[in-house]
Amino acid sequence: MDADIISNLALGFSTAVSPINLFYCFIGVLVGTLIGVLPGIGPVAAVAMLLPLTFNLDAVGAIIMLSGIYYGTQYGGSTTAILVNLPGESASVVTCMDGYAMARQGRAGPALAIAAIGSFFAGTVGTILVALLGPPLAEIALKFGAPEYFSLMVMALIAAAVLAHGSMLKTICMIVLGLLVGIVGTDVNSGMSRFTFGASGLADGLSFVVVAMGLFGFAEILCNLQDKADTASRDILNQKITGLMPTAADMKAAFGAIVRGTAVGAFFGTLPGGGPTISAFSAYAVEKKLAKDPSRFGKGAIEGVAAPESANNAAVQCAFITTLTLGIPHGATMALLLGALTIQGIAPGPQVMTQRPDLFWGLIASMWIGNAMLVILNLPLVGLWIKLLKVPYRFLFPAIMVFMAIGVYSVNNLDLDIYMTILFGVLGYIFIKLKCEPAPLILAFVLGPLMEENLRRALLISRGDPTVFITRPISAAFLVATALLLAFMIVPSFRKKREEAVADSEAL
Amino acid sequence: MQTKYKMKTLVAGLVAAAVLAAPMTTMAQNYPTKPIRLIVAFPAGGSTDIIARLVAQRLGEKLGQQVIVDNRGGAGGTIGTEIAARAAPDGHTLTMGTTSTHVIAPAAYAKVNYDPVKDFDPITLVASTPYLLVLHPGVKANNLKEFIALAKSQPGKLNYASAGTGSTTQLAMEMLNRAAGIDVVHVPYNGNGPAGAATLGGQVQALFGSMPAVLPHAQAGRLRAIAVGTAQRSPALPNVPTVAESGFPGFEVSLWLGFFAPKGTPKPILTRLQKELTDIASNPEMKAQFEKNGASAVTNTPAEMNTLMKTELEKYGKVVKAAGISLK
Repeated sequence: MDADIISNLALGFSTAVSPINLFYCFIGVLVGTLIGVLPGIGPVAAVAMLLPLTFNLDAVGAIIMLSGIYYGTQYGGSTTAILVNLPGESASVVTCMDGYAMARQGRAGPALAIAAIGSFFAGTVGTILVALLGPPLAEIALKFGAPEYFSLMVMALIAAAVLAHGSMLKTICMIVLGLLVGIVGTDVNSGMSRFTFGASGLADGLSFVVVAMGLFGFAEILCNLQDKADTASRDILNQKITGLMPTAADMKAAFGAIVRGTAVGAFFGTLPGGGPTISAFSAYAVEKKLAKDPSRFGKGAIEGVAAPESANNAAVQCAFITTLTLGIPHGATMALLLGALTIQGIAPGPQVMTQRPDLFWGLIASMWIGNAMLVILNLPLVGLWIKLLKVPYRFLFPAIMVFMAIGVYSVNNLDLDIYMTILFGVLGYIFIKLKCEPAPLILAFVLGPLMEENLRRALLISRGDPTVFITRPISAAFLVATALLLAFMIVPSFRKKREEAVADSEAL
Repeated sequence: MQTKYKMKTLVAGLVAAAVLAAPMTTMAQNYPTKPIRLIVAFPAGGSTDIIARLVAQRLGEKLGQQVIVDNRGGAGGTIGTEIAARAAPDGHTLTMGTTSTHVIAPAAYAKVNYDPVKDFDPITLVASTPYLLVLHPGVKANNLKEFIALAKSQPGKLNYASAGTGSTTQLAMEMLNRAAGIDVVHVPYNGNGPAGAATLGGQVQALFGSMPAVLPHAQAGRLRAIAVGTAQRSPALPNVPTVAESGFPGFEVSLWLGFFAPKGTPKPILTRLQKELTDIASNPEMKAQFEKNGASAVTNTPAEMNTLMKTELEKYGKVVKAAGISLK
């Protein structure tokens, strides 16, 4: 078995390190990073746009390049999250919280560097996992039916309450609001439209990019524009930038977070459905729970960047397990990658591993190479990205707005999406004024529809019997964990701590 | 002010050029005068998109103008199809219509802003994708007859997955439910991938899936293929009988893909496109590429396409009504 793995990996590396494939990998990562830093253009849009480029490549080169684009955009999305509070895709919403706070303190460099290092570590572990345990892990993933997914998501949603820094009541309101926003669109079971107001552009629901760009990016710009005082504070921020790389203390603080984040990400990433987002949120929640002083979170804690970034990347890596071994895509980007394979005449599925070992193992090897290239490429770029922050607002803001509009439009080619982004921007501005955090809303927005779908599916299959959630062991385990989490939150000592934290943040 | 004036001149110039560009016949002779936009009402990377792109590339070579695929996904393909229906009928906007956009959506949606027959000039079919009935290997039935007997012995106990409410995968199974007098319960998933995963994992017992999505699993022995929905057996699975030959003559479900132009496109342009597209779909190399994607090349005439749509609108309309499917 072990010898097999080694010879398989050898085959993989010999395929992936051929100069032409290394070149494709590099181009993919580079283009991905460059596109990823454009606000609003996430992995799905980037891969969809660049898909035609790969039609004339051979299958191995095409998939290697597309995967490179995927990692690159994912990382590029984190860069904008840290620098300008613009999450490129759902998983980087979490990175915004502490990453942007670090940037405001003049610590954008360490934040970017730790994100790259954490991602690389997670990518390495993820690659090894895929190589060693791919097929058996895929089997476990198949054991996850509707009840399991539902219970898992209930747990994730409860964990979201832990994420917030302000008042518990406001957090719950934001979660509920997120669930409501997630309901917009066509109901999967009955085909009924909900809250679409007759607009066909809303039939498939609001896209994540619309909600996130509005609540984070647009609202942030509005807030910065409101008075001169903030511009002044930004100038101070510019001068304060010290050191591009994390210090030894930073590394020490982040190391545990990277390892834990990787573990969390690898777990959730293997399950088809919601992978990177749930991973990032959960990893952040874990760090906050374990921290000696949870009040630092949201104010520039380096663990708050390291954990979700590692988790996110580990999940992305593990997402290839079900995609490659079962031919079941993990989300829109993976579906596109499978589409690319199909164009190449390769039917994705269990036989890829046996019929095209060069492709399967070559991709696994190139995953690692791609991650390594990402670090090599991005550590020197950190300095360059930081310089972006020095661009005067009168140039930076219009540029961001234009790119945001392009990015939002590119997802569905719908102008309605741009108007909706503006609407969410105004809403986001009101939230900032009311001290309501948008992160729990986003998580609920992402999870809500999945949760509803799985709840109804589980009950449909059990013919309306709700005990299915506690009689299936995996589902029951998640619900027990949720109950414990809730108990923690209600325990008075914890509540006291929370209130202290709130008092702290309001004093600031 | 200056730029505004320039804009006006430019617009006026464009309008004048457009007016001068008529009469129709010369327009058709020079066709195409600019790149052609091929609207695909589904996202990039999906099965319709793949076929569209394969054909678009060849069509571009033949016409001497690029054919650009414009993905306008959403709302079951109705958004993109509506855009195509409203486009200028000059042959520079075409769409890849399918059973979903031109038959099922108009039948199942309460309101669709286009008429599949009246708003389009059909050109030709290019491909069709078969549907395959697969079971989780744990189900105690080795063929369609045993499956029906099993379903009859425990009515309302078995479940089937679909790619979504109103999808071909649901309608295929509902047709079988009605034809065989069985009650296998519909569990909708979000797309072919998740529906396949649910069947592989045994969460549901059956799936009448699109061939490219389920064939690899059937070949690997992880799903048991018991019947194909086409009139003839599939070359990929010669041992699997058709539903029709298993006791349901006339049963046929497949997903066709064809080219449409907005209604009123000049005849000469339509004829030219039909000739080129028929050539492309009959090319052995293209046929082989279709087959790799689980589809087979098919061509026909505009009149045949109209008949096909009318027959299918009636056929699926009945199933939609009987199964109580209504998308709003």
